[in-house]
Amino acid sequence: MATTLGKTNSGAAFGRSIPRVEAQAKVTGKAEYVHNLRLPGMLYGKVHRSTVAHGRIRGIDVSAAKVLPGVYAVYTAADIIKLIPEPYYGPAFHDQPILAVDKVHHVGEPVALVLAADPHVAEAAAQLIDVDYEELPAVFDEVEAMTSKAIVHEVLKPAGTFPDLKHLKGKRDTNIALDFHLRRGDAQKAFAEADHVFEHTFRTQQVLHVPLEPFVTVADPTPNQLVIHTASQSPSFVRIEIARLLGWAENKVRVKVPYLGGGFGAKLYIKTEALTAAAALLAGRPVKISLTMEEQFYQITKHAATLRIKSGVSKDGKVTARECEVWWNGGAYADIGPRVTQKSGFTAPGPYDIDHVSIDSYALYTNLPAAGALRGFGIPQLVWAYESHTDMIAKALKMDPLAIRRKNILREGRPQATGTLMRDAGIEKVLERLAERMDWEKSFDRGSGTLRRGRGIAIGFKASISPTTSVAIVNVSADGSCMVYCSTVDMGQGSDTAMAQFAAEALGIPVESVTVVHPDTDVTPYDMATLGSRSTYHMGHAVKLAAEDARDKLMQLAKDVGLSAETTPIPDIFRKKYGMQAGNIVGVGSYIPTYTSPDAHGQTDNATPFWMIGATGAEVEVDTETGEFKITRLVNLVDVGRPVNPAIVETQISGATMMQLGFTLFERMDFDAGQCTNASLADYKIPGIRDVPLVMENEAVDMVQQSGPFGAKGVGESGTFGVSPAIASAIDDAVGVRLTSLPLTAEAVYRGLRAQAGKPLDE
Amino acid sequence: MTPFELAEPKSLREALTLLNTDDPSVRAFGGCTALMLMMKTGVFQPTCLVSLRGVEPQHAEIQSDGGSLRIGALATLTAIGGSAMVRKAAPVITQAMQTLSNVRVRNVATLGGHLAHGDPHMDLPPVMIALDAELTAVSVHGERKLAVADLFTGYYETALAKNELISEVRIPSQAGRRSAYIKFTTRTADDWPALGVAVSFAIDGKVIQDARVVVSAATEKAVRLRDAEVALNGATVSDALLARAGEAAAAEADVVGDARGSAAYKREMLRVYAARAVKQALAA
Repeated sequence: MATTLGKTNSGAAFGRSIPRVEAQAKVTGKAEYVHNLRLPGMLYGKVHRSTVAHGRIRGIDVSAAKVLPGVYAVYTAADIIKLIPEPYYGPAFHDQPILAVDKVHHVGEPVALVLAADPHVAEAAAQLIDVDYEELPAVFDEVEAMTSKAIVHEVLKPAGTFPDLKHLKGKRDTNIALDFHLRRGDAQKAFAEADHVFEHTFRTQQVLHVPLEPFVTVADPTPNQLVIHTASQSPSFVRIEIARLLGWAENKVRVKVPYLGGGFGAKLYIKTEALTAAAALLAGRPVKISLTMEEQFYQITKHAATLRIKSGVSKDGKVTARECEVWWNGGAYADIGPRVTQKSGFTAPGPYDIDHVSIDSYALYTNLPAAGALRGFGIPQLVWAYESHTDMIAKALKMDPLAIRRKNILREGRPQATGTLMRDAGIEKVLERLAERMDWEKSFDRGSGTLRRGRGIAIGFKASISPTTSVAIVNVSADGSCMVYCSTVDMGQGSDTAMAQFAAEALGIPVESVTVVHPDTDVTPYDMATLGSRSTYHMGHAVKLAAEDARDKLMQLAKDVGLSAETTPIPDIFRKKYGMQAGNIVGVGSYIPTYTSPDAHGQTDNATPFWMIGATGAEVEVDTETGEFKITRLVNLVDVGRPVNPAIVETQISGATMMQLGFTLFERMDFDAGQCTNASLADYKIPGIRDVPLVMENEAVDMVQQSGPFGAKGVGESGTFGVSPAIASAIDDAVGVRLTSLPLTAEAVYRGLRAQAGKPLDE
Repeated sequence: MTPFELAEPKSLREALTLLNTDDPSVRAFGGCTALMLMMKTGVFQPTCLVSLRGVEPQHAEIQSDGGSLRIGALATLTAIGGSAMVRKAAPVITQAMQTLSNVRVRNVATLGGHLAHGDPHMDLPPVMIALDAELTAVSVHGERKLAVADLFTGYYETALAKNELISEVRIPSQAGRRSAYIKFTTRTADDWPALGVAVSFAIDGKVIQDARVVVSAATEKAVRLRDAEVALNGATVSDALLARAGEAAAAEADVVGDARGSAAYKREMLRVYAARAVKQALAA
């Protein structure tokens, strides 16, 4: 039976665990990925990478590579500049060259590119390229980078692309890409008056995203357009940035994105796209560049950070003042690090009600692979520090970890560090529900002998990125079926399913009759990017608005032809109008939230359209003879507003938690003079199925985001927030060993136990 | 990876002929799981790889002869892990297979390659040494027998000649003996071990006899720890004995540090796990 326009906002499509629309295609191997794309005449590009961390290029000898049979071309920056005179890109600074110009900034930086019809020939030729470097002093540590004589970029060139980063100014001879400062009240005075002052320093290590589909781009120079097929989370940005580099109109560049095999923040802005596009235009042939898993280690990573926190605390555990200094190791290019520095600075004091706050947050250049966005955008590093700090204070004051949090928690309606009032933020609810699920106030089996048990809780929150724009089109066909055109990228998070649910709910039609068109900048309208858990809220709004627009137009069409849209099947309305199955109804929606830029003291009345909240409770069992610990129970609580799709929400929570668990327990890029020494999945270990905690529970608390589409907000990152500090606190609770550096290794616990026993272990 | 020639001989004799060369860039493979890692990082660039996957199927057979086992070198780790004969004759092998790498590797990796690679992080070398296994090495010149304990001469170094292949591993009857293997990992569950400890001994009442204690992964090759064995032999089981054996193992082994743990830490873990391995074997 043909569909009739049903009630809008009836709950028929929204809030239900609709099976993922792409599930069957993926499990049967039929889903489309750029890796599978082959075009006639296509060449493969292989990159020759820098072997030194910082150096001037004296000369590049490509002669042996050029004469290898099967090599089509070898390009260096000298060739790129002929096509693109200013070959630098980046979302915050134009600091990243398409191929190294005059100097290299990190081991692994692309210096030359070989094209060949056979990728193995290209690879062999890339190894024949000989680069002569004059090595320069390098800086690797983020705190040293503040005052280092080694300068990664002589001049800083702000991009000026995004409204929230407009204040970035060009500077000379500094490694500080951005410094963010927040002042509220008078922290120094409050420290002087406090009963206790506590200060701790924490470290996090450099890690990376490891999407199982590495970066891949195909660029096809067609007669009228440059068509770019790419595994990107930000097709609109790729189009604008490639057009800018080439000096072309936006509509001369077409960017198409099929499914992604994971993104996690890695595939944002420009990654392999600029090099592939330049090579294709120089060669006049389609070019594919697909990085190996090993090459991913040189493309983009997550910031290592040093975090110093100081708190003034009253006798009864009330935090009166907090000072945070954070140094973010951004590596060789700023990428989106300045935004990480600023946005995470907003919430650096944690979800606590503190009158006197001082925050200094620095984005630093070093000679390591660049760091950018990774699931949580700096928040997991901060929560690691401030929640560990909270428990260290509680222990010193002999307070219960839950009690100290209850005493200080940031309640609804109260101003947060930026001065923005908390709205629809279930911080207290998440904390209380976590305590309930952990049976926190009941007795706990603490183990015996060489097996000691402990537990810990941690809670964090995050501001959404703002202000950003999403545009969507909803197209109702004459048979009543519907297509959603949007540039949100389904990278595994289930956005196709969610957008279909938004459209169906707003239109009042079954979700099964909605399909979602994948990003294609010739077809789907602008979207800032799929990042920072913003799509559910922003694109959700745009799709809802577009669907409501389409619904209004359909109602009007019915009225015009003398029918009732509520009782007439949709195809009959079209047939009455056009005399046959013909025509479309096109609805358009565009959404941008309001935002107030912070002033010189980091103060704003509107820092974010919504808050994300996540908390974790951990129970561990520590083997005191070895330092090994088992996570016997992990409980994850989040506030996601009203869940769009409860089943997908749960997998988002568990997925985020497992990813952060890898960063907490195992993952670490090791470096020797800037060279990553474990750049492969054989040596850089990510969690597998047998690393999942024995018991893992995930829950979204009962909340509504009043400003969200149907009450929803983002979910992709919240599960990461509390994992690291909850586990570290559980270890401390079990055996009295407090770790302040990630990852939390068995050896670190063992060394702590030995030190505690007065028998420290040799290095 | 750069291009190379792939030879797919149909017989072991043919494979041995292809391998009878001094060229170090010609190598044989069974599952190619280990060589592939070296090729991807550019550590090994072959001109020719000789696949053993097409040779006579009897080289992958598992046979039981009385209490002893004969395992063809081309038997996959999955086949060995699922073999009822192996479980009956040497359950320690079946147990070790549960945590050996991952199912994708086990499905193609072969016993011969696993041993011949000479990588100290592999799980079966210490187990095979503890079980007193013997291998047959073949070349165009004939065959010879070698104790697995004598196979490993250094870090990625073995007693095999360039033109030799392992064709078979023979495990003697384990009647009256107890064995255990502990894989100690410090990162993910499927990581290579930071330390491997295998033990095997005969037990007469509560008295341990003919003990073999083998350490791997923390050392540059899988090796027996004679002092720990001496401590155990002829002694009556007690907590103090286990502690003494652990101390002896830790004192004797030449432990090296790496990304999985410092030498000092691994030595302490050897002390703990040597004792735990004996305890686990007693409970087996």
